[in-house]
Amino acid sequence: MEKALIAFAAALCVAAGCVTGIMEGKVAIQAVESIGKNPDAADKIQSMAIIGAAISETCAIYCLLVAFLIIFIVGA
Amino acid sequence: MFELQATVLSIIIITILLIVFLVILNGKLKKFDPMDEPKGLVLLAMVATQMVDKNVREKTNDKVAKYLTPYIMTVVMYIFMANISGLLSLEAPTSNYSVTLVLAAITCVLIEVYSAKARGAKGYIKSWFEPFAPFVVLNVFSRISTLLSLSLRLFGNILSGGILMSVIYQMLSAISSKIPVIGQLNIAGILVAPVLHFYFDLFSGAMQAFIFMTLTISFIGKELPEK
Repeated sequence: MEKALIAFAAALCVAAGCVTGIMEGKVAIQAVESIGKNPDAADKIQSMAIIGAAISETCAIYCLLVAFLIIFIVGA
Repeated sequence: MFELQATVLSIIIITILLIVFLVILNGKLKKFDPMDEPKGLVLLAMVATQMVDKNVREKTNDKVAKYLTPYIMTVVMYIFMANISGLLSLEAPTSNYSVTLVLAAITCVLIEVYSAKARGAKGYIKSWFEPFAPFVVLNVFSRISTLLSLSLRLFGNILSGGILMSVIYQMLSAISSKIPVIGQLNIAGILVAPVLHFYFDLFSGAMQAFIFMTLTISFIGKELPEK
């Protein structure tokens, strides 16, 4: 029972990270749209999009970290 | 008793492979006549160096790029080789948190060094207390979060890819063991696994190496004065 709860908690952490997937998709959509409108700025937009996606990905990374902590420290 | 971890073994193998490759490349480059048309390995090295150098020069200035490009090139080569080592059925070194933490720590130290160089000693100490004194807590945490996010991004991506591949292999061998006579050969694995290897090892590995490069360059470029 206790093990099931720990696994459920870790799964919840990963589920919280799913929102990041949707939002990073939005970053990509906006980047593609703005490159379509302004092809000359493609280089700048590309690096901006990667940095934006990387910084917003931090949230998902913390979810992963917490999931690891739950599995390996609480679960051990 | 001394016991070698699987990732440490693959670190040694990859380092030896990289050294051999670079020694061969060095020999070819020394023999290469600049007037000739480059081809083969020489062409590959030239294109890769030009790509990285262009990326570095865009974000930083020429003086910094002279020292930064070799570092970035080394890190990208190492990360790429480490990420695709799943193809050689080694355990990827980047799925060991110590490796990615060290790589991210080097980047973080470089960021601080370039920040100190650009601002001077007084300005550097002041930058920890910007915009005013109580913000020192937030500044410390923002430095730590850079380290954590850089290392954990690489680690999480590669580790989850490796775990998924091993789970998929187990599932496929369980499925193909239902086939009579030739079931032990893992037929389903031979058919399905290459596509997944392409995504999880090659694509994801190259992507993560590229992202690590871009982030390192732009974090360092952020600390430099405006051109």
